[in-house]
Amino acid sequence: MTEITEQNKVSEKFVPKPSLPPPPNTTGAIGWLRYNLFDGFLSSCLTVLSLIAIGFMCVNFYEWAFAKAVLEAANRQECRITPTEFGTCWAGVKFWFTRFIYGRYTDTEIWRVNFAAIILILWMIPVWLPRVTAKLNIALSGVLIFPFLAGYMFLGGDRNWFMEIMVSVALGCFITVMIHSLLCLFTGAGISRWIIQLTGFSSRSERLHKFPVIMFAVIIFLLSLFLINDVAFKEMPNNLWGGLFLTLVISGIGIASALPAGILLALGRRSKMTVIRVLCVAFIELFRSVPLITILFMATTMFPLFLPEGFHINKLASAIVAVCLFAAAYMAEVVRGGLQAIPKGQYEAAEAVGLTYWQSMGFIVMPQALKYMIPNIVSNFMGLFKDTTLVSIIGLYDLLGMINAVSQDPSWIGLHHEPLFTAAVIFFIGCFAMSKYSQYLERNLGAGHGR
Amino acid sequence: MKKLSLLGLGAGLLAAFSFTAVPAIAESTLEMVKKRGHLRCQVGQPTPGFYNLKADGTWVGSDVSICRAVAAAIFGDPQKVEFQSVSSTVRFTALANGESDMLSRTATWTIFRDTQLGLNFTAVNFYDGQGFMVRKDSGIKSAMELKGATVCVATGTTTELNLTDFSRMNKLDIQPVVFSDNNVRNESYLKGNCDAITNDKSGLAAILAGFPDKEAHIILPETISKEPLAPAVRKGDSQWFDIVRWTVFALISAEELGITQANVDEMRKNPPNPEIARFMGVEKEMNKGLGLSKDWAYNIIKSVGNYGEVYEKYMGFGKEGIGIARKGSPNDLWTRGGLMYSPPFR
Repeated sequence: MTEITEQNKVSEKFVPKPSLPPPPNTTGAIGWLRYNLFDGFLSSCLTVLSLIAIGFMCVNFYEWAFAKAVLEAANRQECRITPTEFGTCWAGVKFWFTRFIYGRYTDTEIWRVNFAAIILILWMIPVWLPRVTAKLNIALSGVLIFPFLAGYMFLGGDRNWFMEIMVSVALGCFITVMIHSLLCLFTGAGISRWIIQLTGFSSRSERLHKFPVIMFAVIIFLLSLFLINDVAFKEMPNNLWGGLFLTLVISGIGIASALPAGILLALGRRSKMTVIRVLCVAFIELFRSVPLITILFMATTMFPLFLPEGFHINKLASAIVAVCLFAAAYMAEVVRGGLQAIPKGQYEAAEAVGLTYWQSMGFIVMPQALKYMIPNIVSNFMGLFKDTTLVSIIGLYDLLGMINAVSQDPSWIGLHHEPLFTAAVIFFIGCFAMSKYSQYLERNLGAGHGR
Repeated sequence: MKKLSLLGLGAGLLAAFSFTAVPAIAESTLEMVKKRGHLRCQVGQPTPGFYNLKADGTWVGSDVSICRAVAAAIFGDPQKVEFQSVSSTVRFTALANGESDMLSRTATWTIFRDTQLGLNFTAVNFYDGQGFMVRKDSGIKSAMELKGATVCVATGTTTELNLTDFSRMNKLDIQPVVFSDNNVRNESYLKGNCDAITNDKSGLAAILAGFPDKEAHIILPETISKEPLAPAVRKGDSQWFDIVRWTVFALISAEELGITQANVDEMRKNPPNPEIARFMGVEKEMNKGLGLSKDWAYNIIKSVGNYGEVYEKYMGFGKEGIGIARKGSPNDLWTRGGLMYSPPFR
């Protein structure tokens, strides 16, 4: 009894009064506005001024992009809206758009570029599908083997025995990846298990399992060899490559090679082996301290001077090599920064459980470090994507090169705002997509621990 | 030097896979071009009239036509050219290092370049010169009236130097406003930030063609510099030098002789006079020293037309032209008071 009364007393004592609602002008839209935009005289002034500025810009932009737009015209003179004023000549952008994307690639062959792009997308989609297994193999094959297939599709011409084999291997890989992904989606098991079951090898010992898989690989290879036997593409020498296509080829190869090369260089720089360390430091410092444009000029113009007479280096190839070396040097320092963020205890723990150098790097250090490096790595990739426009100076017609050509074309002479705006939009889409993807990766990998 | 060798080593190792090795010691340029199957002709970054990229991806222009003419003379096919569009900072290096077989771009023939850069200019195919453009309502009629004027000019070229020379010589105290981007320069002038704009006159005509109101501007009569533009080749191969030089002469001669793209077949069948017969390769053998086929000059005219036709098409008032009048200019034939003159085909 006494307990209950005491409890009653306590509960009587502590019944909280319902709290009053906050004053109406501090909640909802009005509260938000007051707190964020009109908090005092100065803040209100700044808000009003900014609103006026934004409004002014919006109105001007609308007028430029829409009100004055001319969508149909055969040349710039027809884009005039009054006798003495040009409208915003989107017709010119429309007229040149195919060239922005594909450069001087012959119209009838453009499907090859698109086809290779579709293959790459199909190849990479399984990496994002949760039910698919062996993602690392799919991604690696995409990065290492797809370039041969794409290279042949873009370049065309005769295949020597090496290309014959590599293109077949690439096509075989693609077919395998597709079958594997579909099997994973519908049955939940990967291709090798399916083959083993189908051939009845599942009942035999594990040791024998590899034989049907190898047989399958050989069959697929022969099949692709047979498939490409009659395929012959017209040769499209790479001085015809251009536009966004070329930008993506250069930056794509640069990006794909930068991370692995950067990791190796960073590890080399931290290595205890003097020769390797000195070489890596020299490479990184040399390429980091020289502007990209200088490296491009050296590779495409100066380097041929040191060669014996009659040697001719493909300009695109040397530009790509230059971009790769440059990107690797920058990436190395990003990776090194990430490595330094890992506490020494992790290295020691890895050593203590008896892991070798490569094991401790591959299983302990890198997975943690790479997670923290994502924002920097992606910034680097974006930078590289945009830096690629420098190749227009050495005479490769990437997106910016094609854009600049418009204003010199006698039919569209002087037209440069609209094409440049188009390029800005294209670059923004590319970079924004990269940035969004990196944020998704960070969330997924839990970098930053939800803070 | 460490820089160079390291770079060379790295690039060499990696580029070893991408080399297309053509060991060609003591091979003449003509043999090399023939073996390769196409001509490597260097042009610049798109410049109205001279070399333009069209929206269908092809190169056109008067300098481009020279490349096509040389290809026609060698192969009988004007399509057998790979155009190398190189920025002007490395144009001569790209010729010297063997990347290009010849250079056909707006390069001014000067003593320094001709004697010290390891290249030879062949024959002038366009006489240009620097001039001024002003707004009509400014009332300026002569460059001598530009006292204290602000003038928009592109940086990094001889244009800027010529302007300061001109200003000092005539005590005009011209204020140059310097731009690195030509489009921005043109727009600044249009917006009224400068009183005048200066460039090569061919360039001025192209700029004017891009203005909305062409009637509101005039190009002043003075020409303040000599800019003879000529195709160039590497020093040391006189046969190749002759081929390019006589390709230009063939274009000029054809106009003088009245041979056009339209009547070239007819003229070859029934040559009206012995010089045309020699030109067409019907009489005598004018091709021997050049190492070309007998009908080389015929092929040139058949593929690109004569000098006048090329001029009208790209520089004059043709559909793709930029509208530079030829009459009375140095680019007219010598018979009409210009400077275009070819030695005889004899």
